[in-house]
Amino acid sequence: MDAALSPNGRRLLRVFFGLVVVFLYAPIVILLIFSFNNSSLPAFPLSGFTLHWYREFIGNADLRASLETSAVIAALTSVGAVFLGTLASVALARRRFRGKAIASAFLLSPLVIPYVVFGISLLLLFHQLGIPRSLLTVVIGHIVISLPYTILVLVPRLEQIDASLEEAAYDLGAGHLQTFRSVTFPLILPAIVSAFLIAFTTSFDEYAVASFVVGTRVTFPIYLYSALRFPSQLPQVIAVAVVVLTVSLVVVIAAEIWRRGAERKLEVSPS
Amino acid sequence: MTPALLGLPVGWLAVFFLAPIGIVAAYSVNVLALPPSTPGFTLGAWHDFIHSGVYLGLFWKSVKMSLIVSALVVLVAFPLAYYLALSGTKRKYILLLVLIAPFLTSYLLRVLAWKVILGDQGVVNTFLFWTGIRAAGHPISALLYSRFAVMLVLGYVWLPFVALPIFVSLESLDTRLLEAASDLGATRRQAFRRVTLPLSLPGVVAAFLFVFIPTVGEFVTPSLVGGTSGYMYGNQIVDLFGTGFPDWETGSVLALFLLGVIAALTVVFARFIQRDVAT
Repeated sequence: MDAALSPNGRRLLRVFFGLVVVFLYAPIVILLIFSFNNSSLPAFPLSGFTLHWYREFIGNADLRASLETSAVIAALTSVGAVFLGTLASVALARRRFRGKAIASAFLLSPLVIPYVVFGISLLLLFHQLGIPRSLLTVVIGHIVISLPYTILVLVPRLEQIDASLEEAAYDLGAGHLQTFRSVTFPLILPAIVSAFLIAFTTSFDEYAVASFVVGTRVTFPIYLYSALRFPSQLPQVIAVAVVVLTVSLVVVIAAEIWRRGAERKLEVSPS
Repeated sequence: MTPALLGLPVGWLAVFFLAPIGIVAAYSVNVLALPPSTPGFTLGAWHDFIHSGVYLGLFWKSVKMSLIVSALVVLVAFPLAYYLALSGTKRKYILLLVLIAPFLTSYLLRVLAWKVILGDQGVVNTFLFWTGIRAAGHPISALLYSRFAVMLVLGYVWLPFVALPIFVSLESLDTRLLEAASDLGATRRQAFRRVTLPLSLPGVVAAFLFVFIPTVGEFVTPSLVGGTSGYMYGNQIVDLFGTGFPDWETGSVLALFLLGVIAALTVVFARFIQRDVAT
């Protein structure tokens, strides 16, 4: 007998699971349907198929500029966060030192700050220092938010790989940097790619913090937020939404599958 | 070597995370002030905050909304995680990915979807007109711009994420314990109540906090789908720093109070969260 579930319980849970998945994806599917609907209002009944809204958004220069701004910010953020995150993760996973628990708690603490509080804090900091708000002020904030996620991805991976490989490199005369470049880095590369993607998507999608420190060049989420207030823009926003949702879903799933495969390949066969 | 490694990341957070909070603290006691006010230490804004029914009332309203959302979302996510972890299905990681994938897509766009669905001229109402269930021109207005809309959207947004910590704690459960319980004559219900549930509690608590902490200070969702009745504490903070009549002193008090409550919660439940993060 299965101690966890009766056959009926299993069936019931499977149906429940299916219903929740429908609930989770239905709004996304509804966006998809209405993005092709030939009407300026997303409402029933459907009135015909059109690609008009997709053409309109491709022709919308402000929207394209905001996507570009967000891509630049997300790229800078992910490079910065992964760089800082790798330094921190190597220290946390490989070194012994006093106050490690405190250091680790501090590095992860941005996970629990409400974004509204962090946003106004940064706003006050830049105000106090007289730094004008710009693309870079958003990057600074986004690095703070993404840093803990990169550590959460990198530390488990570092703990998984055998530290004696690195010790062997030291014994053979390699320095810290050389060991990292030719031993550690190739082994944690899949996790670094994951961390990079997480930081990128976090930044690309971030509205709350950016709304306080953004300069004159608006990001995509900020453009979206303001477009949501004008019903006439709704259909093309829905078309963009569909494109962005699809791209991010595909990237996320492909990256996860690639990471699993790559880590399996890298697994050192047990002696 | 270690200081060299930790110096940059810790320094970054010290300058761009810790110092800014210090500046908020300075504003909250008027050591720093926005002109035309003159700076000078005072606890006036804190005093007013504690004795104001308005701000604390709004805080409790947000706590209540957030508690309800967190509880409901955990209740829904638990059976999902249970199914994935313990039903012995071979496709559990694929199903887990299916469940979590929406969380990894744009937050604003998922909120947008509900705006399209719930509006007076939205998908639900026009569907009801079209099918004649409701007379045209008489939409169910309470769907959007209400407390209900805020809670529904917050629940929708956080549900996929919450299944994860519960799944992790159920996954690491030693199933031999359940077999032992059943060998000793326990029914499934008893085994669940006495073995599975207590052992999955850390994951459940972590899941609960993972929703409660971000939602209690939420301002984006309520400003998009909440209208006046869905207005939350986070919106109040934003408005105090807004362009109309900025009051940075009071705003800083509200922000620090929220931060304090969440920091206290995090410290009290740290061992639950840590255990989850470590796995």
